[in-house]
This record gives sequence, C-alpha cells and structure tokens, in this order.
Amino acid sequence: MGRRRRHHKTSGAVKLNVTAMLDMAFQLLAFFILTFRPAPIEGHLSLNMPPPIPQTNVQSTQTVGTEGNSAPNLHALHLFVTATESGDVAQIRLESNVIAAGRLTPATVAGIGRRIAPLFAAGNVLYDRIQIEVDRDLRYEELLKLVDVCAQQKLPDGKPLGKVSFVEMQR
Amino acid sequence: MSQSSEGTAEPDLTPLLDMVFQLITFFMLVINFKGAALDQSLQLPVLGSARPLEWKGDYEPLMLNVDNEGRVKVFGAVVSAEKFITDEAADLKKKLKASGESSPKELPVPVVLRADKGTRFHLVNHVIKLCQDNGYVQFSLSAMTGTGEGGR
Repeated sequence: MGRRRRHHKTSGAVKLNVTAMLDMAFQLLAFFILTFRPAPIEGHLSLNMPPPIPQTNVQSTQTVGTEGNSAPNLHALHLFVTATESGDVAQIRLESNVIAAGRLTPATVAGIGRRIAPLFAAGNVLYDRIQIEVDRDLRYEELLKLVDVCAQQKLPDGKPLGKVSFVEMQR
Repeated sequence: MSQSSEGTAEPDLTPLLDMVFQLITFFMLVINFKGAALDQSLQLPVLGSARPLEWKGDYEPLMLNVDNEGRVKVFGAVVSAEKFITDEAADLKKKLKASGESSPKELPVPVVLRADKGTRFHLVNHVIKLCQDNGYVQFSLSAMTGTGEGGR
C-alpha cells in the first residue's frame, strides 16, 4: 500500500495552476491596451533665443567687420513682418527693403531664404543673429515658417545660425 | 477507460500565457509616460525640417502647451504662466546650486514650446518673454514633421 502510494507520487508530473497567473496577465494586458496612446510624430526647431536687443543703428554696420578688425562687432539682422487681420503675412521687410508680400507660400519662403543667405556668406558677415519684429496678430504657424528659414542660415564656419529673437511690432 | 472518463478536460494554457506575456512586454516597452505632458488637443504647425529633440542633460526640459487663446497648459491643467515659469526656474536654480554648479545667468535647460498653429504672436511672445525673464534662452519649438494636417 505504502509502496504503491510512493510510486504514484514520483511518476505524476507536477502541474502548476496557471489560471490565476493568466487572469492577472489579462488584467495587465487590458490596462496597457486601454491606456495605450501612441506618441505623436513631433519634431522640434531648436533655437537660441536670447532676449531681443534694442535696435542699433543699422547704417553703422557698414563700418564693422572691416579688414584688420579681428573681432568684428556683429549685429542683428532685422526682419519686419506685418500681418492681416486674419493673421496671415501682409508684408515682410528685410531692414528697409520689402522682400515679400501676401500669404506665405513655399516659393515665397524659399525666396526669403535666398535673400538672406548672402548676408551670412563668408566675407559678408555683419550679423550673428536675426531679430524678427512681428505684428502682434500674426499666427504662430506663419511665424514658424519664417523662423525655420532664418534658422537654416549657415554661418561661414558651417554652423547653423540658430540665434533668433522676436520683438512685438509697435503700432 | 475509467481514468479518462473521470479526468477533467484541461486545456494547455501555456501558449496562451506566453502570448499574453509577449503582448504585455510590447505594451510596456512602447508605453509613453511623457505623453501625459503633451496636450493632444493642440494643432501644431507643420514643419518639414523639424527634428526630434535630442536632449541629454541632467534636467528635464520645461514643457509648455499654449492654446490658441494663450492659455498655458501643463499636464492638462491650465496654469498661471507667470507663476509656473517663475517657480520652475527657481526650482532649477536651487537644484543647480545643490549640485555644486554656479548659478548661471542663462539656464542650461531648453523650453519645449508647443503652441497651437492659430495662436497669435503676442500671446506666444508673452510666454517666451516670461521664460527669457527667468533665464531660459534655449527653446525648442514643436511642430508636426509630416506634410499633412498639423495636430491630432
């Protein structure tokens, strides 16, 4: 009798009751499925945005960066952006020159980039940042298109400009 | 014969358990705890050149959601921008001091600015100025990277 019982114990496989574990696993799974929210595909435009500097005399930039001046006094390039009531771009001025008017399209933005780029090319570096004076009603979406084209400008050493300031335009 | 009729039918749950654990592992790996800080109701502008934020500093960036009425939201709650930014900057300065770093004039932490694409400039600029006044100079302006509609 005793011998038979011992025989049964050694030959029978040990069976774990996995039902409780499965219950818990399903609960965890339900939690994760219900709380799952895929991360949005967001990007960032990284900028160094120091506080804006008071507008200097733009005409004086003609004298800086001349030969023999090893540490030229760099200035901010000024862009002036006016807006319509609906928040679209009305006009963009580069210093005193109108460089775009009307709603921003990819072609307009590219054109602005072409106008700005030579100012940062080697030998012509008078500026180390772009200061955008913006109409208070301009929509952020439109502003970001301009900021993007400004941030893409390359300094003579190949580094991106990345230094942009905003000022609210006085009415 | 008698044994088979008495025995209960027990399905083998092991493969099922395996699969469930694999699913749990998947969801645990892709869960995004930082997603709670993002206001999904904002319609971000679309910018093809936007790149993922590569921040490897010791301190977390300051995340600000600005809706089209200029309200600043943090973890879904509308907060006073002035108080929140001032408190965060003071807290960061305290941490920098405690870790032995000299209190810099410019805080070494970026501000992640998530503003709705329809927000007027003066509302966004108000938040930017508050940050600058408190020593933040590095900004990461959030945008959708695709060419489709911004936001969700």
